Amino acid sequence: MFETLLIVWRESLEAALIVGVLLTYLGRSGQRSGVAYVWAGTLLAVVAALACGVASNDAASHLDADLQELLQAGILFLAVAVLTWMILWMHRNAGGLGGDLRRKADAALARGRLIGLATIAFVAVFREGLETVLFLWGVLVQRTDLTVLPFIGAGLAGAALAVVTAWLFFRGFQFLSLRRFFRVTGVLLLLVAAGLLMSAVNKLIGLGYLSPVAAQVWNTAWLVRDDSPVGAFLGALVGYRSRPSLAEVLAFAAYVPLMLWALHRADAAGAPVERASARTAA
Amino acid sequence: MSLRTPAAIALALFFVAGGAAASEDRAIALAVEEAGFAPSEIEAPSGARVRLEVTNRTAAAIEFESFELNRERVIQPGQTAAVYVSGLGPGRYEFFDDFHQQRRGALLVR
Repeated sequence: MFETLLIVWRESLEAALIVGVLLTYLGRSGQRSGVAYVWAGTLLAVVAALACGVASNDAASHLDADLQELLQAGILFLAVAVLTWMILWMHRNAGGLGGDLRRKADAALARGRLIGLATIAFVAVFREGLETVLFLWGVLVQRTDLTVLPFIGAGLAGAALAVVTAWLFFRGFQFLSLRRFFRVTGVLLLLVAAGLLMSAVNKLIGLGYLSPVAAQVWNTAWLVRDDSPVGAFLGALVGYRSRPSLAEVLAFAAYVPLMLWALHRADAAGAPVERASARTAA
Repeated sequence: MSLRTPAAIALALFFVAGGAAASEDRAIALAVEEAGFAPSEIEAPSGARVRLEVTNRTAAAIEFESFELNRERVIQPGQTAAVYVSGLGPGRYEFFDDFHQQRRGALLVR
């Protein structure tokens, strides 16, 4: 039963952390119009995961296992693309949001951005939600009597625990100054995107479409085991794995500096405008 | 921007070419049964490109997982998933069913 709780905690954590960072960001930056879209994406994903999970147990509706995995990799690449775009506009926004209450009040988000927010929440929750549903469904079919109830309870407790974990983590963020908060959430989202990218690359390697180049670049299991709580947390947040292949490391090493450069460029381009608007506000 | 696209294409081609070099593919069938993996130990030569054909013969979804092999796959009842591993050095690589952790096995690379 404890195992059930742990498995669901681990499966739900990534979703909880990604939804958490989006909600924290929107709340702190006063862009409340986005909050409803994040929740809409989340709820839709829960419903879709339940529907797909239950439907996929009907043998006739089975999609080929490898095709499913390929589809998942495709969805991950899409998520990385949307997240990349969001990180860039969030960063551009952050400069103008520094304590300017008048602007904060009417910080409405463009439609495309709202849909972007909903998409990321949907993908994060659907991915992990589907696995959780499949796992719990398995628990359900193995026990047909009332002994199944404690297991379902343990599953729900695991999901709740994941939400609490994410909530505690982001509570720490409220002690940051607004400026530092935007920096930290920006870097965090960047690492989340890089983690999703590595995960997509890992799937393509597992499917035989990509070469790992080198199967194992290093092994940090002595420091952080994948199945330890810290390993699970880092895995969910930034895609930590103790034994990554060179292809995954290269994907990370290509993506992160490129994004930092793009953010730096946005800073350079946005700076004069910010200064001008700050002067107007004063 | 102008530099990014060709670099990405070159990188992609490099990986795809590596992935497609299937000359030394070795297929190993691996079943997941209620009692555990069958067989529970499999062998492969060092450096080979191995295709594990993992079939879920149980009534519930399983998750084939290995930290040593850096792989995880959810497999639904009755389905078979291809899991590629390649370029492994000699050693013992353990795998397990993450949804039922008493089911364990290992790939011995010699």
